[in-house]
Amino acid sequence: MAKIGVVLLISILLASIFAPFLALHDPTHQYSGESNNPPIGFGGETETATTEVVDGEVQTTVETVEQSPTMEHPLGTDALGRDMFSRLLFGARTSILVGLTATTLAATAGVVYGLTAGYYGGRIDDGMMRLADIMLAFPSLVLAVTLIGLYGTGSIRIPDPWVGLGLVDGMPESFVFPGTITVVIALVSWVWFARVARGEALSLRDEDYVRAARTAGASDWYLLRKHLLPNCLTPIIVLATVQVAVVILLESALAFLGFSGTQLSWGFDVAQGRDYLATSWWITTLPGMAILLTVVAINLIGDWFRDALDPDISGEEGGTGA
Amino acid sequence: MGIYKFLLKRVLQGLFVIWGIVTVVFLLRFMTPGDPVSFVAPLDAPPALRAQIAEDLGLNQPLHIQYAEYLIGLVQGDMGYSYISNTDAGSRIFARLPATLELALMATLIAIIISIPLGIISAANRHEPSDYAATSFSLIGISTPNFWLGIMLILVFAETLGVLPSGQQAIGLVGALQMLIFEQNVSGLRAWGAHIILPAITLGTYFTALIMRLTRNGMLEELGKTYIRALRAKGLPETLVRYKHALRNTLIPIITILGLQLGTLIGGAVVTETVFAWPGLGRLVITSVLNRDWPLIQGTLIVIGVGFVVINIVVDSLYAYVNPKVGYE
Repeated sequence: MAKIGVVLLISILLASIFAPFLALHDPTHQYSGESNNPPIGFGGETETATTEVVDGEVQTTVETVEQSPTMEHPLGTDALGRDMFSRLLFGARTSILVGLTATTLAATAGVVYGLTAGYYGGRIDDGMMRLADIMLAFPSLVLAVTLIGLYGTGSIRIPDPWVGLGLVDGMPESFVFPGTITVVIALVSWVWFARVARGEALSLRDEDYVRAARTAGASDWYLLRKHLLPNCLTPIIVLATVQVAVVILLESALAFLGFSGTQLSWGFDVAQGRDYLATSWWITTLPGMAILLTVVAINLIGDWFRDALDPDISGEEGGTGA
Repeated sequence: MGIYKFLLKRVLQGLFVIWGIVTVVFLLRFMTPGDPVSFVAPLDAPPALRAQIAEDLGLNQPLHIQYAEYLIGLVQGDMGYSYISNTDAGSRIFARLPATLELALMATLIAIIISIPLGIISAANRHEPSDYAATSFSLIGISTPNFWLGIMLILVFAETLGVLPSGQQAIGLVGALQMLIFEQNVSGLRAWGAHIILPAITLGTYFTALIMRLTRNGMLEELGKTYIRALRAKGLPETLVRYKHALRNTLIPIITILGLQLGTLIGGAVVTETVFAWPGLGRLVITSVLNRDWPLIQGTLIVIGVGFVVINIVVDSLYAYVNPKVGYE
């Protein structure tokens, strides 16, 4: 099963890196007259009602439009006539980038915090973990919505390297990296890393080899770096893998609620398609399946890591899911 | 440590965390760009009116005075006035609370009813088709974005089949029960059930999958232990071995994890309420953030935080009560 996860995730990673090469169209270009085109294999009719006032009377004309899928847009188009396939490819960038950056930030901060608390123990540990408890009491999504609503989305435009090098034409020159979301997600998820790192540090600090090194005059900093950090990495890696999946879910939920700052996000597309659910189901269905597949792939790999690296931890499931 | 001392210690710790929440929530406002007066005053308000509004809201006081007044107000149960609707923030929050509680309870109930039997079946039939089916279900369950699941449920059950309403609370549980008791009328309860079922499934799926995983892993761990072998050796029926002994020891840590995941449940409620137009706290959070309605934002965060602390104290106490090995430490 883990192999399926690895293959899936590598394909998604490649798709997000090489999106401009693989995309058939500019994901933001609106093809007029081609809105709500169905994906290949799903032709059908849609009814559009127009109301006009003729001689003081309201007349409603219902037109039945035959929509046929085209090879131009294999997965159809959205309500504004944008190519779904291309949007899905570019949407992967946002999910992957936010997932990796936020998890790295959270893991770094959490490990430093947790190791310090666990290593010194006693009152320092008590105080530090009580502070961490305060963070746990805020539901992450609610805190994220509050902070983003107040501080703005902090969008950072990153130039697309492939377009910049002149390797592809007709693609967006840059893409938006939602800065506030990334920082906020890191801010709400570091505690899980801190808890795991602290637990490890507590159990390691009285090991004979650590005592020996301390007796030999090693500094606290040296002990933390050389002895505690390498030994707590295994559970941290397992947690980080699962956490990337949780972050991707959280990012898509925030984008769905309209707190993202980028329009090239799977969650944003799901929200967009809601108004056309009855007629154009693919606008909501496809991006949702993209999120599902990505998160399944990561969780498969996470389970594999867990079984392979650390058979003992089945206890505390980390996560601050949406 | 005796139970009273344990409880006292946990309550004091809980009070510290609540104080921390209140302080963070209070400070959030001062780290926020923008003058709250601008959100309340009309666009063309003269400076005198703006000053009057600032004074009415207590915004012209020094920080520490505002903090002290805020704390005193909270202790007296006063969360301030909503800037936008000019009503008491506390009463608005508590008016929305039942809808969210009903949703969260139903979701938890569904999760527990489905997940624990599934986890046991899965562990008992390890590496058999039923185990693979159950683990695949739980993998998909923890990986599905719940806003999307909600929309898909609406698409299937409301739009296509037309058998269930697409959310929107028709009647509260209290109202439905009153109808049942005083008028012997079940239609209220039926409407309540029809409206809550899709939102509750949407919110509950992640937890169903999570608890199923934890139950399966925990049962596998317990069933491999020597005391189980001893019980089997003395001829105890397998049902008793599984349910009376292994399951009990499995459930204890699960309760703790669920207590800590309460924030996830609330976060899920925000999304679910948005999808189903459910009149709960989650939607109140979104609208008050968009309006920068500070007293409402602060009040909601505090109510949720206090709920989290209280439930975790209860969970910890139960945990110590149920499991003598842990004790009141």
